[in-house]
Amino acid sequence: MDFAQTWLPFIYLYGIGGIAFVFGLNLILRTKALRLSYSRHKKWIWIFLYGFFFYAGIHALFIFIAIGSQ
Amino acid sequence: MDIAIGTQLDRIIIIAYFTLVMGFGAYFGKYSKTTSDYFFGGRRFSWWLIAISIVATGVGSHSFVKYSTKAYQYGFSSTMTYMNDWFFMPLFMFGWLPIIYYTKIKSIPEYFERRFNRKARYIATLMTLLYMIGYIAIQFLTLATALYKIYGIPLMLTVVLIAIATTIYMHFGGQTSVIFTDLFQGFILIFAGLLLFYLGIQYLGDNTAFTGMKAFWMNLSPNEKLPLAHFNHPPDFNFVGIFWQDGIAGSVGFLFLNQGLIMRFMAAKSVNEGRKAAAFNVLIILPISAIVVSNAGWIGRAITNAVPNALPVDMAANDIFVAVTNIVSSPGVFGFIIAALCAALMSTADTLVNASSAIIINDIYRPLAKKLKNEKEQLKLARWTSIGVKVLAVSLVPFFNSFDSIYEAHGWFHSTFTPPLVVGVFLGIFWKRFTTSAVIATFLGGAFLMLLGQSFPELIRPFSHGIEFRPGRGYSYIGALYNIFVCAGVGIIVTFFTKPKTEKQLSGLTIFDVHNLKNIFKGSSVNEEKGESINVTWKIKEIDSDLVCFSINDMKRMKANPGDLVFVEDSRWWLGGLKSAHCIYGEPHNEDGLVYITNKHLSHGQFIEGLKLKAEKEM
Repeated sequence: MDFAQTWLPFIYLYGIGGIAFVFGLNLILRTKALRLSYSRHKKWIWIFLYGFFFYAGIHALFIFIAIGSQ
Repeated sequence: MDIAIGTQLDRIIIIAYFTLVMGFGAYFGKYSKTTSDYFFGGRRFSWWLIAISIVATGVGSHSFVKYSTKAYQYGFSSTMTYMNDWFFMPLFMFGWLPIIYYTKIKSIPEYFERRFNRKARYIATLMTLLYMIGYIAIQFLTLATALYKIYGIPLMLTVVLIAIATTIYMHFGGQTSVIFTDLFQGFILIFAGLLLFYLGIQYLGDNTAFTGMKAFWMNLSPNEKLPLAHFNHPPDFNFVGIFWQDGIAGSVGFLFLNQGLIMRFMAAKSVNEGRKAAAFNVLIILPISAIVVSNAGWIGRAITNAVPNALPVDMAANDIFVAVTNIVSSPGVFGFIIAALCAALMSTADTLVNASSAIIINDIYRPLAKKLKNEKEQLKLARWTSIGVKVLAVSLVPFFNSFDSIYEAHGWFHSTFTPPLVVGVFLGIFWKRFTTSAVIATFLGGAFLMLLGQSFPELIRPFSHGIEFRPGRGYSYIGALYNIFVCAGVGIIVTFFTKPKTEKQLSGLTIFDVHNLKNIFKGSSVNEEKGESINVTWKIKEIDSDLVCFSINDMKRMKANPGDLVFVEDSRWWLGGLKSAHCIYGEPHNEDGLVYITNKHLSHGQFIEGLKLKAEKEM
């Protein structure tokens, strides 16, 4: 298994996708569409971050497992 | 290869399933009193109902065939497209969703008129309708391809029969029927997919040296366990091309432009319920759906690796779903799983038909009609329009049948119709400077440059990331990057040379006004105090319009004032808001635990005599 099969797609996915994600998060905070001062809004920041690392974690885990099972 | 065509029992089960769903959907017709109910379900449903019903909408019948095929060929990387939708969720949940909900926009093209002008709306209408009707045609074709092998009925006749079956329940029920049949079918889909996985693992346990999950896991190679495809190879399944086609263009298209999905979120009782539904769907349902649609291919691959002669050597990869289902399941179970495939088709098709019908009424009939018919007549027209949409879709089936595969037809759609709309809506929401001339240029100039790219593939080469060029087929998925680039490029350049709209003209239409949308929606300042929700008995009192009257003490508990908005629903939670109404607080009285409602609320909410209502302040 070479790098182009394993970690390159992962880095590209969470690099470019990460830029889109951070841009979106920044924009909704900057425009006050999401207000951290509202208690019912605050939980959403954590949900957004959880979702990002949840998917990154699943993908990384399976890449590790696949490399390890060679 | 000749695919097994099932037994008589299987055929009976499939017909019984169709009949059950048609009856189920037609029952909910009584909840559609107006075009708003018919298209948007009256904005009343709980998040869990919306979330589960979206499963069946997102998982089309083509998904089973398409993803099983890729799972059989490439392993776990078939799940890529189900696991890359999170990146745009902040913009969707706190940008687009509140805009469409609070501005009461009825369709995507209507947004284009409000944000830009009527010309932009008409071009968007045309592109959206072409996209959706073609998509419906592909759904019909996929299922007909599977069913005609089982029943031996000619392909086109099967297509017509499927169209008639979906018409029966949709014609009467509209969005409420769509949501409830999709809820039912969502459960069926997930159950059938996981059942197939379980049966496949059992089959592997019976026929290999291992048992349980180990029998599945140990019979896949390390390459087949990778969750993402090779970066740029082979040309028909590579990571970078699929990332741009599905992860970027597809995700934005699905979240921001899929009229069916938008209408589903607009049926939620509040924006917050819509957000919960969206988060639950992407974090919980999509990973499960990825397993549901792919596992037949994984099982097929493990069987091929472990038991070389179990599946025919000359089997086409496209046949893997039916082939695996047939060998791992018994008569009756095979019929049930194929019925689940029907569920996927009917759910996706009914959502898109309802959405297309909404666009025809809202974006063609209403703006163009010199004299609008009354609400009842419009509802009748909406019902007949949905039949017209199906007739058009059926007539397009032979065209799509001429593509090499359904996968290819589907890909052609995404790359041709999505990018200009994606760029137009995205820049429209998130960039105030984006002008009307720029969006028209994006649609027309972008489409021209896209066609140029299809004719001269060397234009796409700089974007190809090293993906091999296939003569006659061009650069498949990575073409989406080129298309997005040229559409966005045209839009951005034209913007800088044209005059933007004023702040006032853009009020409520961009993300920069989301913080103020609740005030615009309510028409007065919002009451954000957090109160209790209460259960009350109800009585009819004919008072003015939308007003409902609670006691002074109950109003205090809810922290509500006259003029605030209130949501009342049947107190049984499992109805998910089906029996409910949005109302306005009137002047309070002194009878605690009692609410006075009007006959209009009773008719809309279909409340039952003697059963309590749950009330909560909205804003």
